[in-house]
Amino acid sequence: MWETIIVAPFTNALLMIYKLIGGNFGIAIILFTILIRVITHPLMVSQIKGSTKMQEMQSSKEWQEIQKKYKDDKQALSQEQMKYYKSIGYNPLSSCLPSIIQIPLIFGLYQSIIRALAASPLQLLTLTRSVYPFFEVGDLVPLNSKFLWMNLGQPERIYVFGYAIPLLAIIVAITTYIQSKVTMPPSTNPRDQGAMMGKMMTLYMPLLLGYFALTFASGLSVYFIIGNLIGIAQYALLGKVNWRALIPGRKPAPALATRKK
Amino acid sequence: MKIKYLVMLSLLLGLVAVLSGCATGMTAASWPGITVDAKNAYIAGGPYVYAVNLQTGAQTWRFPEKASTANPFDATPTLTSDGQLIVGGFDKKLYSLNPQTGQSNWQFTDARDRWIGGALATEKMIFAPNADYKLYALNMQGKLQWSFPADQSIWGTPVSDGTNIYFGTLGKKVYAVNAQTGKQIWVQDVNGAVLGSPVLGEDKLYVGTYSGSVYALDTANGFAQTITTTSTTGKDRWIWSGPALDGTNIYYGDGNGSLYAQPLSGTGQPWSQQLNGAITGTPLVTADNIVIGTEAGNVYFIDRTGENLRPISISGKVYSSPVAAGTLVLVSPTDGSAVLVALDQTGAVKWSFTPAK
Repeated sequence: MWETIIVAPFTNALLMIYKLIGGNFGIAIILFTILIRVITHPLMVSQIKGSTKMQEMQSSKEWQEIQKKYKDDKQALSQEQMKYYKSIGYNPLSSCLPSIIQIPLIFGLYQSIIRALAASPLQLLTLTRSVYPFFEVGDLVPLNSKFLWMNLGQPERIYVFGYAIPLLAIIVAITTYIQSKVTMPPSTNPRDQGAMMGKMMTLYMPLLLGYFALTFASGLSVYFIIGNLIGIAQYALLGKVNWRALIPGRKPAPALATRKK
Repeated sequence: MKIKYLVMLSLLLGLVAVLSGCATGMTAASWPGITVDAKNAYIAGGPYVYAVNLQTGAQTWRFPEKASTANPFDATPTLTSDGQLIVGGFDKKLYSLNPQTGQSNWQFTDARDRWIGGALATEKMIFAPNADYKLYALNMQGKLQWSFPADQSIWGTPVSDGTNIYFGTLGKKVYAVNAQTGKQIWVQDVNGAVLGSPVLGEDKLYVGTYSGSVYALDTANGFAQTITTTSTTGKDRWIWSGPALDGTNIYYGDGNGSLYAQPLSGTGQPWSQQLNGAITGTPLVTADNIVIGTEAGNVYFIDRTGENLRPISISGKVYSSPVAAGTLVLVSPTDGSAVLVALDQTGAVKWSFTPAK
């Protein structure tokens, strides 16, 4: 099911783009990542709006009073929160549901990139079985996996004076950090658990994705970098990028949600 | 807010799980290769290279001591005339092992990609093809003598007529390179990727292509003629491994499970047999039979006339080429319970080797 609905269509779409642009798999990955992000853009908008509403809600007096009043009774707190959500017309799923929907797309995209690169005999056999009948498989092989200085089917290194530098992994880590940092909603509440978790993610995600970029096929790194850049652009389009967060020692800006345009 | 971050955390953990899963999937990236000497069979399959006693089916040794599941061995091992076992791994290293003990003699680490095709050993040289588009020529001490840059990855073991080295690439080309100097003698385009090894006949080099054709190339100048194509249509018409010769016929299989025999002279009678799964290996020609495995997990013994089909069911998928060891036929299934199965000429299982966990 996963194969039929997600991986096979994604792989074929990727190969279609590859054929249309004349056989550059790096550009195909970039275009396909952009395509997927454009298709899922409404979900992202909905997610950002949900987060904004939550920010507004958390800074409201009424919400803070509820937190104070029921701080020792978790069940009552939960009930009161739900009541409050209803009263202001907020659906708590509105900020997380779009993320959930995007998960299979991200995984599918990754799997289709790895599959289409077919860097070993069994992977090529799997790819052969995945392609739709309108493709002439004999023409698809070999897939041109060279892009700029990279072999997209292999982890990337550039050699400087004999030393192997994982340039792409470094770029992945940096862009992931920047994206997490500038798109994280600022919080002035030191007890805000969400903000604390967000800070942890800002630290761990770049390390994790950087490690993946170091270890796995560089086609995946291209996808991570483009995904990060598009993510920042999407937030920027909605006016939700907090560039100040990148300046060390800067106090958090007023909550974006409460800022007046 | 908590919900959102819990979702993000799940996403992160999911990403780790999926990527790790995919990485593990990458380890089963190929199928085992087998080579034999008088005493042992050597199998490069998964995380280890095994030496298995041909009499008993017991393990003699395995290499390395600590396995890396991310870097399997799948290239067919090669025995040299001076007693080395050459095998490359997905870790980009080419190893020389002592076939008696499994101890490492030397490593060649200059390649930039995986070793998928097995090496060719002549009396004084080792010719090893890599997925980094290069053919490496080493002396017996593992020192690089020359490297030849091809147009694409080389997945098949090269062959030699003593003067030149011949090999095909995924880039739909076949090359002849001087064994001493590494200079290109000729290069010839064919209609599809060459995934397997070429086979040498009398003044001719035969290759199968991913587009379903078998070519005969003149070894002197590379002039190519299509001698046959598979009757399969659609995406299963590929020929994965190189064909086999017996002096009269050329034998090959396709992705649809058809096994073909094509007379070389044009006077014989061609035949084909439909087997029960895709054929990725090179058929083994024995005194009486053609032996080949299928992805569906059968090993077929067929008379050389194309009659008397005898399927033997094996646990796992038989992607690799069967290998003869005296009167035994060795097959190495993928995803099966055993790593190596020894059959006699009637197809009866003599022994099977399952590594200790």
